[in-house]
Amino acid sequence: MTRISKPSLSNEGYNLQFKPFEKTLTKQGVPFYFQSAGTQDVIKLELVFSGGIINQPAPGVASFTCSMLSEGTKSKSGTELVNALDYYGAYFQAKASEYDSVITLYCLSKHLMAVLPLLNEAIEDSIFPEKALNTLKRNAIERLKVNEQKSSFLCRREFNSKFFGNDHPLGISSSIEDINKIDIAQIIEYHQTYFLKGLKYILLSGRFEDSLKDKVVEFINFSNKVSSNIIYPELTTQKGKFIVTKEKAVQSTIKLGHKGISRTHAYFPTFQLMNTILGGYFGSRLMKNIREDKGLTYGIYSSHETNSHYSLWYIESDLNKKNIEIARKEIFSEIAKIQTELVEADELSTAKNYLLGSILKSLDNNLSLSGRMKLILDNELNYDYLNEFKERILKATAEEIREIANQYLHINDLIEITVE
Amino acid sequence: MIHYSRFVLKNGLTVIHHLDENSQLAVLNLLYKVGSKEEDPNKTGFAHLFEHLMFGGTPNITEFDEPLQEAGGDSNAFTSNDITNYYLSLPLSNIETGFWLESDRMRGLAFSQKSLDVQKGVVIEEFKERYLNQPYGDIWLRILPLAYKEHPYSWPTIGKEISHIEEANMDQVKSFFKNFYAPNNCILVVAGNISLERVKELCSIYFEDIPAQEIKRINYPQESVQTEARFQEIQSDVPSNLILKAWHMGDRLSQNYYAMDLLSDILGSGKGSRLYDELVKKQAIFSEIDAYISGDAEPGLFLIEGKLLPETSFHQAENAIKGVLDEFFRTGCTDRELTMVQNKTETNIRFGDVNLLNRAMKLAFAEYLGDIELTNKEINLYLDITKEILLSEAKRTLVDTNCSTIHYKSSSND
Repeated sequence: MTRISKPSLSNEGYNLQFKPFEKTLTKQGVPFYFQSAGTQDVIKLELVFSGGIINQPAPGVASFTCSMLSEGTKSKSGTELVNALDYYGAYFQAKASEYDSVITLYCLSKHLMAVLPLLNEAIEDSIFPEKALNTLKRNAIERLKVNEQKSSFLCRREFNSKFFGNDHPLGISSSIEDINKIDIAQIIEYHQTYFLKGLKYILLSGRFEDSLKDKVVEFINFSNKVSSNIIYPELTTQKGKFIVTKEKAVQSTIKLGHKGISRTHAYFPTFQLMNTILGGYFGSRLMKNIREDKGLTYGIYSSHETNSHYSLWYIESDLNKKNIEIARKEIFSEIAKIQTELVEADELSTAKNYLLGSILKSLDNNLSLSGRMKLILDNELNYDYLNEFKERILKATAEEIREIANQYLHINDLIEITVE
Repeated sequence: MIHYSRFVLKNGLTVIHHLDENSQLAVLNLLYKVGSKEEDPNKTGFAHLFEHLMFGGTPNITEFDEPLQEAGGDSNAFTSNDITNYYLSLPLSNIETGFWLESDRMRGLAFSQKSLDVQKGVVIEEFKERYLNQPYGDIWLRILPLAYKEHPYSWPTIGKEISHIEEANMDQVKSFFKNFYAPNNCILVVAGNISLERVKELCSIYFEDIPAQEIKRINYPQESVQTEARFQEIQSDVPSNLILKAWHMGDRLSQNYYAMDLLSDILGSGKGSRLYDELVKKQAIFSEIDAYISGDAEPGLFLIEGKLLPETSFHQAENAIKGVLDEFFRTGCTDRELTMVQNKTETNIRFGDVNLLNRAMKLAFAEYLGDIELTNKEINLYLDITKEILLSEAKRTLVDTNCSTIHYKSSSND
């Protein structure tokens, strides 16, 4: 029967052409990137501010400042502010990341101009009431207590402290004591420096008329006075094997990793491909071996996190405590295998096509395209980088994969954390 | 507006085509009309275990995911009380690979013992990871059998207990496949920049000759009306006390469903909601509190879930929730509140529709519910809810005799 034969494939038919956002400047000189596309009249407006966790004076201050933005302004209580946005079906999220903080507004295009003054009020006229801070602190402590019962949380916390260093802002995870110590003065100062005078750039996506975009550009009045020459603290990585003890734990987590390579590195595409083969997708070697062949876990992945300041490569899995040793052994044997044996042609081409297909997927609507745009801006990539990436991936050979695995994966440099 | 066309093959397969000229992707979504509600009460968790086995290969194709990944695509699936839904997306130029793979596994599986054994292991790990070894992880395993005494919604899709999964055998796998995995029990949605003619052509090549099967639906009991409040206390090593209250509500197409969905937003979704404002901010009784619905096709549950602050007693917490509900019963909601939650609903619907795969899933589920036009008119059903309807549906639903309550007690708080 003809239908049973496998259809022929095309990996040339789709191109990864990234359609860049257009750029203009606000009257304060802040870059404003925009693109209108798609079929739904929705808006995603992202305000990217210069301060992140790295800039906070004490643990938790960056994220508490973000949460406090919806806790009241000069003219509205927190609930009134949120309800005023709700009235238009709009909401915003404020999130502190490692090196920046992003406020994202979601609404229907038709309500944008009604909603924008409310967002502006939340950022500009926030009053940071002491009572609201106490409520948020109390609730954060309760959440932390729950998290501390999860092996995955304990494992990541320990891993970060070893990878970034005990004193590094990114290596410190807030304790109950840290949360209790946060005070309003710290929040007000952080807000003054990094929100009121720290708007780095703006992204507008969704579908909208040009005239609406012009009104938004005209409206946004925040400036950027944060110096771009901040010197960030060095990582003080402590490699080795560490065990976090958790009494009565049945569930365990293992995480091991070390530094990766930067997005601008010439071998970055090949490293991504190597990581895909090892543990980057459902068909990866780790997943096949440890989940699909042995049924030891619900999931195991290797990941490569890169940003403008550091990159981190790691393998992580949640599994039953009794399976830790055997999984660990298999992880090391998979690393050794990719460093010594050549990848078969089929496996290589599957990983290549999967990787390119997954990027294509991330380009399919312009709400997710804005994430790609942010990546380009933060890493100072050129707009054509995806095509270069695609060319490199299509050309990569089995020898290169083995070479990259040898050159950039080092068993002796691993930080290895298990929760037991 | 989501445009679609619908046709049915001779073997009973319902096909829905959705054109999106701007997408470079193609999506295939296959909804099989079988969920955990059609399981034997002594062999629960099987529909979900079976979902895992659908990736384990057929006589022609050793493994489902590999050729798909080779074509630049990926796939996944989920099982609910009502349905099992499989989806894949891939570059449009390779859409035929999607048809080839999905039709092949509808035709038959390899039924390999090794695949069954391994997937039992994987599902047992999932059971432990998500339901047993997480703080409060078993709460769903507890509330369902308290609320449902007859209807099969009384167990979660993962199953009642691990032993049911351990005991699953190959005969069960084969008969489940034969009974439920047939074209006449499936809805296929094809979405992307592809013409209706081409979809018809591909369907005739790949799906047309798969024979229809006789589907023996399981006759499960319907739930009788609950007539007295139910209560259970659990003591466990969790950091704080938790309350979960569940009320029976209407089915997915009833007006009660839309009213209660809106009410869950008014009462307890986000920082602007009544429960949060009153009980987290003003009275400082809970550290978090939410209201939500289970969203099932048949009569489901309306739930309120809150974590108590250390100094709050269960008695205080119960009274506080009752206070907020009573206040609502006295005055209902304001015009402004109603507009608020209706607008929020519209925003959520529009944002959901941005994504091609979401549109495909939505079409499939509306067709499953019996009215594909729900895809576009559902927003009107929310807009049709008035203050009066909302209040009367709330009063009818949120009564004590219709409620099941769990007090999840932290052993460290003693």
